[in-house]
Amino acid sequence: MVPLKLIWRNLLRHKLRVLLTAGSLTVAFFLLCVLQALVVSLDQGVKNASKKRLVVQSAVSLFVNLPISYQGKIETVEGVDETMKMTWFGGYYREPANMFAQFAIDADRMETIYSNVELIEGSWDEFKNTRMSCLVGKETANKYGWSVGDRVPIVGMIYPRLDGSEWQFDIAGIYDAGAEASIDDLTMYFHWDYLEEAMEAGATTGADGIGVYSVLLSDGYSQAGVGAEIDSLFENGPQRVQSTPEGEFNAQFVSMVGNVPFFVGTIGMGVLIAILLATLNTMLMSGREQTRDVGVLKALGFDGSAAFWLLLSQSLILCGLGAGTGIFLALGIEGPLQAVLGSNFPGLQINREVLTPAIILAICVALFAGLAPALRARRLTVIEALREEV
Amino acid sequence: MALVPLSYNLRSLRVRKSSTLLTIISVGATVAIFAGVLSLQQGFETLFSDSGRADVSVFLRPGAVSEGESGIPPEKCEIIKKSLPEVQVVDGMPLASAESFLAVRRRKLDGGETNVPIRGVEQMTFTIREGEVALSEGRAFAPGSDEVIVGEKLVGRIQGCALGETIWLNTVPFKVVGVFSHDGPFASEIWCDIRRMSDALDRPWYSRVVAVLNPDADINALKERMSEHKEIPAKVMDERTYYEDQTQALSGVLRGLGTFLAVIMGMAAAFTATNTMLAALSTRSHEIGILLSVGFRPTAIFLSFLFEAVLLSLAGGLVGVLVAFAINGAETGTTNFRTFTEIAFAFRVTPTVLSQAVFFSLLLGLLGGAWPAWRASRMKPVEALRRT
Repeated sequence: MVPLKLIWRNLLRHKLRVLLTAGSLTVAFFLLCVLQALVVSLDQGVKNASKKRLVVQSAVSLFVNLPISYQGKIETVEGVDETMKMTWFGGYYREPANMFAQFAIDADRMETIYSNVELIEGSWDEFKNTRMSCLVGKETANKYGWSVGDRVPIVGMIYPRLDGSEWQFDIAGIYDAGAEASIDDLTMYFHWDYLEEAMEAGATTGADGIGVYSVLLSDGYSQAGVGAEIDSLFENGPQRVQSTPEGEFNAQFVSMVGNVPFFVGTIGMGVLIAILLATLNTMLMSGREQTRDVGVLKALGFDGSAAFWLLLSQSLILCGLGAGTGIFLALGIEGPLQAVLGSNFPGLQINREVLTPAIILAICVALFAGLAPALRARRLTVIEALREEV
Repeated sequence: MALVPLSYNLRSLRVRKSSTLLTIISVGATVAIFAGVLSLQQGFETLFSDSGRADVSVFLRPGAVSEGESGIPPEKCEIIKKSLPEVQVVDGMPLASAESFLAVRRRKLDGGETNVPIRGVEQMTFTIREGEVALSEGRAFAPGSDEVIVGEKLVGRIQGCALGETIWLNTVPFKVVGVFSHDGPFASEIWCDIRRMSDALDRPWYSRVVAVLNPDADINALKERMSEHKEIPAKVMDERTYYEDQTQALSGVLRGLGTFLAVIMGMAAAFTATNTMLAALSTRSHEIGILLSVGFRPTAIFLSFLFEAVLLSLAGGLVGVLVAFAINGAETGTTNFRTFTEIAFAFRVTPTVLSQAVFFSLLLGLLGGAWPAWRASRMKPVEALRRT
């Protein structure tokens, strides 16, 4: 083995070059981590969705509501444990830019349907018993500085109040979705009854009916089986329905953006090619410059594998430093990234699913770039190496 | 001042084949991605902006930002169509038409589901869109019948969208009797009779009114009057503005993404170019010494090295643009986030994309070449000659 110090000295022979290459590696791996984090975040709600829940929606369109009478009929199907109305409210807080999801729901059933959701402030009872109350996800509450007891004004775009005023909601609780992967920490849930009351009183316009029904299955029943049963119930109208496992329901919103994984994959590929060639270029240059060193090393009695490792470990160190810095930068920017992109990519984080591929790729780049000069160093004879002109 | 002959740079690049090639490809990959994202944005934007007409105005429910969430009762649509003096009248008929819009769930032929816009239109719509919308196959739907025509971008992509096939709207079967073309977003839509659509979907309201205004009509006055109107309040804008609103969000995202990628990847590419030029420098100090001693000025050396770097990055830019051209015209789908419907559009390598890509690679060359070139120009002839 060659001493570590020799490897280090050889690497630092051209400080600027090493610095620039490491810099390229840093930005490239920073970018790769961020891109990968976006993809992972998109998949999260799909992959971890509950196997015990179905979403019953109109078979015609996401924008067509289902009759209220459907709820009772769905509950007659064997295997249905509980149902909950969910209607997209489509509102914003003060400015249109402050858009986040709000759903009108059966307030007394949410705790059963989303059994893993935890209230970190406030209480379920308060929420269930107060008609004007709502639950808010912890991230949204943080963003606007809301806490339990606050009254928040929301402008409804789909359900505008006819007198031009805002809707008022009293915050009864702040939730943490926790293990409930299919919902994020950004949403507001409020009483469907409150919405209906306003519609009946003529205080607002908007579509009648219910957006979707969330259905919780009893133990031992499959999503496909119960779903087919529910679908057949409304085969002849008035409104056909489509029951989808919660994961698939979430997936349709992900695929809407277009083929994001493909898009991101292509960009990542480009980044990788660019950085691979840049590192290879650097290592080839270093290898050529160190030809004479290799000759001397071998003349001193070190064998081919020592020469091989001299070069390869430089590549490994270079990539380790460069890519490592990039990965650390990505970890460091996690917070600001969540602040900027959190509403589009809930649950965005630089986690193991992001870091593992990044580290593997870094090692691959190091091996790819280091192997050619390392193999050459092993092959060279003392005479060849010493004779070589640099 | 005598400049170093360009052939010197060309030869130098050729001598260091592998290094030159690696740098070119590395810069090329960067430029290709930059150009790719830009051409995506251009394709999306031109699809909308080129098809928007300044003489057509769009009437929506007050507060609505797209036809997806807009809703106007049919009787109010009639009043808007017939009572406004700004609307152009031809043969006693106002050039105005009510439209109904809904994103319907459809299966894609390659699996998965998507939201396809279905637009209920009146006969007048075809008069307004004369020259824009043309039937390429089959015939128009008969008024009042359960027939539809489909945009050509849907054929081969969405189930049930070929001539003669049947599209189910809830419990009502509609027959596909024609295929139409349009240079804009309509080509990704299904069109049918507005009343039949309302019946089949049980939607008693329409989405918007589209009208051709008289050439001398003052749209701003109309806009103001309609926003205050007691009976038929409406949000009015010309079609071009309407489309711009639709594309703003995604266009902004793509432009932002392009810039973000360009800055980050550009840094890496400039570093690579610097590295290559520095390596060139160290192997050529002897030559620089000769150049200096035969009388070339340091400025000439500086320019020569800078030129070589720019040459290198422009070659990379060329590779990048060629890669981008390979995807020119490739169709892809994305969502109009205002209406949640999928729209097919193509990558477009426009002159804007080309000039920005070339400018970008030029910039990379200048950034990457500046420092090595300066170092080269600062060498002392004696030192340079002595170094091996």
